Amino acid sequence: MSLRSLMFGWEYPPIHLGGLGVACQGLVRGLLRNGIDISLVLPHPNPQAAQELDIIAPTPEELERIIVTSNLKPYDSVEEYAHRIRAIESHEENQIYGEDLAQEIENYTAMSIDLTKNVEADVIHCHDWMTYEAGIRASAHHKKPLVAHIHATELDRTHFHPNPWIYEKEKRGFLHADNIIAVSNYTKEILTGHYGINPNKITVVHNGNNKTTAELGGALRTEYRQKRGPMILFLGRLTVQKGPNQFLDMAAQVHKYRPDVHFVMAGDGHMLGELIHKTHALGLQDNVIFAGKVSNTEAQKLFAQAECFVMPSLSEPFGLVALEAVAEGTPVVLSNQSGVGEVMNHALKVDFWDTAKMADCVLTILRENVLGSQLRSEASHILKTLTWENQAKQVRSLYHKILDRC
Amino acid sequence: MNNKNPNICFYFQVHQPYRLRDIRYTEIGHRRHEDYFDHQKNHDIFRKVAEKCYLPANALMLKMLKNHPEFRISYSISGVFLDQCEEYGKDVLDSFRALADTGQVEFMAETYYHSLSALHSLPEFCEQVSMQANKINELFGQYPRIFRNTELIFTNEIAHIARLMGFRGILAEGADHILQGRSPNDPYIPPNFYLPDENYWNVINKQFPDSVPDKNIYVLLKNYRLSDDVAFRFSDKSWIGFPLTAETFTDWLLENHGHNINLFMDYETFGEHQWADTGIFSFLEQLPIVWEKRGIKTLTPSEIIDEWENRIGTNTREQEDKATKEATSMISALSSLWKRPKDTNTPLGKFEVEKEFNAHTPVSWADTERDLSAWSGNEIQKAALNAIYELEHAVKASNDPELIKTWRRLQTSDHFYYMCTKYWSDGDVHKYFSPYDSPYEAYRRFSHAIHDIKLRLNTHSSVSNS
Repeated sequence: MSLRSLMFGWEYPPIHLGGLGVACQGLVRGLLRNGIDISLVLPHPNPQAAQELDIIAPTPEELERIIVTSNLKPYDSVEEYAHRIRAIESHEENQIYGEDLAQEIENYTAMSIDLTKNVEADVIHCHDWMTYEAGIRASAHHKKPLVAHIHATELDRTHFHPNPWIYEKEKRGFLHADNIIAVSNYTKEILTGHYGINPNKITVVHNGNNKTTAELGGALRTEYRQKRGPMILFLGRLTVQKGPNQFLDMAAQVHKYRPDVHFVMAGDGHMLGELIHKTHALGLQDNVIFAGKVSNTEAQKLFAQAECFVMPSLSEPFGLVALEAVAEGTPVVLSNQSGVGEVMNHALKVDFWDTAKMADCVLTILRENVLGSQLRSEASHILKTLTWENQAKQVRSLYHKILDRC
Repeated sequence: MNNKNPNICFYFQVHQPYRLRDIRYTEIGHRRHEDYFDHQKNHDIFRKVAEKCYLPANALMLKMLKNHPEFRISYSISGVFLDQCEEYGKDVLDSFRALADTGQVEFMAETYYHSLSALHSLPEFCEQVSMQANKINELFGQYPRIFRNTELIFTNEIAHIARLMGFRGILAEGADHILQGRSPNDPYIPPNFYLPDENYWNVINKQFPDSVPDKNIYVLLKNYRLSDDVAFRFSDKSWIGFPLTAETFTDWLLENHGHNINLFMDYETFGEHQWADTGIFSFLEQLPIVWEKRGIKTLTPSEIIDEWENRIGTNTREQEDKATKEATSMISALSSLWKRPKDTNTPLGKFEVEKEFNAHTPVSWADTERDLSAWSGNEIQKAALNAIYELEHAVKASNDPELIKTWRRLQTSDHFYYMCTKYWSDGDVHKYFSPYDSPYEAYRRFSHAIHDIKLRLNTHSSVSNS
C-alpha cells in the first residue's frame, strides 16, 4: 500500500509572487511521481475559484485537494495582514475573516483539522509557520509523525529583527516536528544557531526546479538590448529581505562607468515608495524602471532580455528565482547569504553588503562577453539534476526513515 | 657492479605563484604605481609553506645527503619561487644553496614564470627558459642540462625545441595512453620530428647562442603509480597500502624492472600536502637507509642518462658527435640535423631502435586526463590565455621592465588553473589549491589586470607618439 502524506501547503500563484507556492507545487508533483499519495490542504479566499486553478492531479485518489476558506497569504506580516483585511472588508462585507492574523490562523487551523479528521494519512507535512499549528494538531489527532518544512524563517524576512510572536510560533513547530526539512544548509544553520534546534533532526533538501529539459536552452536575446542598451534585472518582493536598497546602490556604481545600462526592478512590496525616492536621490530616475508585479511570462521575457540577474538578498533560505534565471540562460550574481549558492557553482557571488564588489561583478559581465557566455552555457546543467523528482525522492526517503523509527 | 636493480631518480617541483589581489574595475587605469598582486597573502602562504615544508624538508634532505654520500636528488625551482625567496625567505634560499653545495643535487631548467609559453609563444618560451637557466647557474653554480616544462607539459615539438636549446634530457609524464603497455622505467626518445619552420632555430639560437644540440634528447618518464603512492596516497587511511613503510615501498620498487624509476612529485608533498604528523618525514628518512641495504642506487637525471648511454653503448653516436663538432661551420652542421633528409632510405641508426615516446598532442601530469584541460578546458581559461599572449608584442615594445615583469607574472599557469571548472560536481583538488572563492573570481581579477595593462600600453604609445 502506498504511503499518504497529509500536507498543509500553499497554492501556486498565477502571478510571480515568490518561491513558496512554486516550491509546494514542485514538491507535490515530485512526490506523486515517486508514488506518494497526498491529501493537500490549501487556504484560499474563494473555494469556488480555487477549483479552477492550476491543479495537476493524475487521479483524485492520489491527490486529494482540500480547500480551506481563508485569506492567509504566506508572506503577510502582522501589519500587512491587518492592512489588507481592512481594505477587503470595506467592499466584500459578506466575507468573514479573522480580525487579526492570529485569529485568521486559528480559523484556518480549526477548519483544516475539521476537514481532514477522516483522512488516513501516514505522515503529516506542513510548510512554513502559518501551517505549523495545523500540523501539530493533525499529528496529535492522527498520531502520525510530523515533518515541518521550512522555506523561510522570520529572521530571514526581517533581517534578524523578528516579530517575537511569529518567532515563537516557528520555534514551537520546529520543536514538535519529528523531523525538519530545511531548504539549504544556510537555513539549517539559522535553525541551529538562532532557534536552538538539534541539527540531527534537520534534513537539508534543496529545492528543485520546475522546468522540464525540453523547456531549457531556448532563451534568445531579444532586440531590447540594441534599442535601449544593456539591462540588469532585479526580481523579487520589494522588502528588506530581498535587498532592493543594495541593488540600487550597486546600480549607482555601475551607472558611473556605464551610463548606457538600464536597471529593471520587477516586483511589488511596501518599500516601493522609498525606493522611488532613493532612485531620484541617486540621480538614476532615467535608468531604473519599476516594473511592478510581473506574470510568469513577463518574468521570462525580462530574464531573456537581461545581461545579468542580480539577487542581493540579505538572507535567502534558498532563492528559487535564481534557478529561473538560469533556466532562461541569464548569468547570475548572488549574495553569499543565499542557500541556492550551495547548489549553483556557475555564478558570481558576493556579500550582500559589498555593493562595490557587486557592481564590479556586473561591470565585468558587461565587459567580458566570454564570462556571460560561459555562465549561460554552464549554469543550466544543474537544472538537469536538481529536479523536483530527484528532490522529492529525498523527502520520500525521509518519510520512510521516520516511519520505521515510529 | 652488475646491479640489475633499477636506479631511483627523485625529482621535486618547487613553485609558488604570485596570487592576484582583489583588483577593482574602478582602479583600472588609475593606480600607476601599484601592481596586481596580493603581497600580504603571497607572503603569508610562502611563510606557512616554508615552515611546514621547505625548511624542515631541506634540513632533512641535507642530513640525508651528508649521511649517505651516494644519495642523489634533483629539483626544479621556478623563477617566481626564487623571486619570492628574495622577497619573503632568504632562509629558504640559503637552505637550497646548502643542498647545492653537497654536489649531490641536480637543478633543472624550466620556464622562469612557470608559464604555458611553450604552447603559445616560442620567443617568449626561449627567453623564459634562458632566464631560468641563468638564474639557477647564478644561485647554485650549475647550468642545467635537463629541462622540465611547466606541469610536465610535453609534446614532440617541445622535446625538440629543448634539444635545440642544448638540453640532453627532458621530463614527461609516463602516460598510459602513450606508453601503450610499455614500461616507464627506461629512458625514451621522441620520434624524429622536423620543426615546421626553420626560423625556429634563429629564435632559439638568439637565447642559446652556445647551444650544441645533440642529435637526440632523452625523455625521462614519471612512474606515476609509485610517485603518487607517496605524493597522494601516503596518508589515505582507506588505501590498501596504508600505512606505507619504507620497507614495503622498496618491495614495490623492486617489483619493477628497467633502468630507472622516476619518482617525480611536488616538493610540498613533504609537510604541506602530507603533514608532518602523517610520518612522511620519517618515511623519507628511512628510504636511503633501506636502499643502501638492498643495493638500490639513486641518481640525478643527468646520471641516469650517463649510465644509460654506457649501458647501451653509444660508440656510433660518439663518432657522429665528433664529426659534428669538427665540422667547419657549426651552423651548417646544425642545419643538416635540421633539414628533412633527402634520402629517406637511410638505414636506421642506433637511436631509432630505442623506445619512442610519441606525443603528438600535449601530455601533462595534471588530473586523470593528463592533458591541458586543467588550464584551457573552458571558455574563460581560453579567453584569458589568448588575452595575455595577444599583448606580447606591445608589452615588449614598451621596453618598460616593470611592465614586462608584471605581464610575465600573469603568465604563471596557476592563474589559469584557478579558473578550472571541470571537476566542480565532485568537489576537487582545484578548489583546495585555489586562493579565491571561485573560478569566476579568478577570472574577474585576471581580466581586470589585463585591461589595466592595456590602458598602460595605450599611455605608453601615446607618450612615445607625442
